[in-house]
Amino acid sequence: MKELQDLKEISHNIYKAVYNNKEILLTKSSYPPYYGERKFDNLREWIPSRSKLSAVLLKGYNLKFRGDEKLLYLGAASGTTVSHISDILDKGIIYAVEYSAKPFSKFLELSKMRKNIIPIFADASKPENYSGIVEKVDFIYQDIAQKNQIDIFIKNSNFFLKENGEGIIMVKARSIDSTEDPEVVFNEVLKELRKRFKVLAFNTLEPFHSDHIFVHVKVLK
Amino acid sequence: MKYRLWLGDYDNDLHLSKDFFKSFLSCKNDNPVPSEAFEVAKKKISNYYEELRKVAIEVAEKEVEKELKREDRYVVMLLKALDELIESINILEEKYRDLVEIKNSGVVESLNRSINDLKKLRKEIEKEIEDIMLKIAPNLSEVAGVKLGARLIEKAGSLEKLATLPASTIQVIGAEKSLFKAISRMKKGKKARVPKHGIIFQHPFIRTLPKRKRGKMARFLASKIAIAARVDYFSGELKEDMIEEVRHRYERIARS
Repeated sequence: MKELQDLKEISHNIYKAVYNNKEILLTKSSYPPYYGERKFDNLREWIPSRSKLSAVLLKGYNLKFRGDEKLLYLGAASGTTVSHISDILDKGIIYAVEYSAKPFSKFLELSKMRKNIIPIFADASKPENYSGIVEKVDFIYQDIAQKNQIDIFIKNSNFFLKENGEGIIMVKARSIDSTEDPEVVFNEVLKELRKRFKVLAFNTLEPFHSDHIFVHVKVLK
Repeated sequence: MKYRLWLGDYDNDLHLSKDFFKSFLSCKNDNPVPSEAFEVAKKKISNYYEELRKVAIEVAEKEVEKELKREDRYVVMLLKALDELIESINILEEKYRDLVEIKNSGVVESLNRSINDLKKLRKEIEKEIEDIMLKIAPNLSEVAGVKLGARLIEKAGSLEKLATLPASTIQVIGAEKSLFKAISRMKKGKKARVPKHGIIFQHPFIRTLPKRKRGKMARFLASKIAIAARVDYFSGELKEDMIEEVRHRYERIARS
């Protein structure tokens, strides 16, 4: 059995290590594996091809977490990424919104196990419908493959984001316009976002996910 | 200003609701709720998050179950099973024919029996799809036919989604590949041939027309299917004159 080498904590509860000559990402967790990932003692491997946030961090962009943030997660799907965020924000609260029944039923299993996840079965494009449930949050994470994904993010940030709050959006070019060149789509998206936010960083998710970029934004003062 | 929170109404003071499950489901606000409201709520009940989580999970469980049990989902899943079944029957029958030519043994006989059983099952599933389609989408079944109607629901994802699609999209459902090819050619300024029909081609009123008339009929039929799906989704009552209109139009186009 090979060992983890060069283990270092890059952010609260997030670790990088070398395993089998490959750089891998892990989160500190007292829970069992959730989607077939490997577990090393109290660390769960965070697979970049399964979770876009892992791809972002593995590409070298570091997000600083304190561990007690309140986070709104739009597009939780079956909860792969949420399970890791739940590890990271061990003293925080995650409001997770998903509208598709099939993956949500799997995600519910996770929510029952983890004390910091509040599952909301609702349409993320209608934040008014869950406005009485979600308080003001420090962070909005969005991974929704919808044509109007930028609108959805803006609407939700109007409702829920704190004054100095931040957000990460995973933008999928194919779902905004399948015939246009991804570059063109991304530029449009950035232009749209810059009207309301300060764009802290953006990058592609190659080689883990093609035709995707992530955008890290902060509320304009 | 009054706000509705999951645990009660807030207007400078919080009035706890009697039933958290009920208020959780109806806490819609048109404007963002000020953060004081939540601060007050956290003070009002001890272990705020624990309680919220309990209610959220229970509500979500019920909602998801309701959603998963919907009849149009049932039809879609049945249709998928039916597709697989038909394919299997065809493959098995082919193998059976090969086998019978070589040797008519006992095993080959029981294969034949099993195939016949599968065919019976296929009829049963078809009957079930028909029954439910007539119940949940009578107009769609009437205008498009049960099979095509069910297929359209499957492709759209649900009856709700089909009801919100424009007729022009319904017209080309199932022809996405050639449609997007045509669109990307048009964007480059080249000539393109946009598909006239997707799976609605299976409808006898389109299939039986000569090629040059199919586009016109497909356009008309798609618009009627869109209306039928909307009537089914929102009211559910049968409008009998719709199919007559379609037939009328078909005869006029066929004769012209």
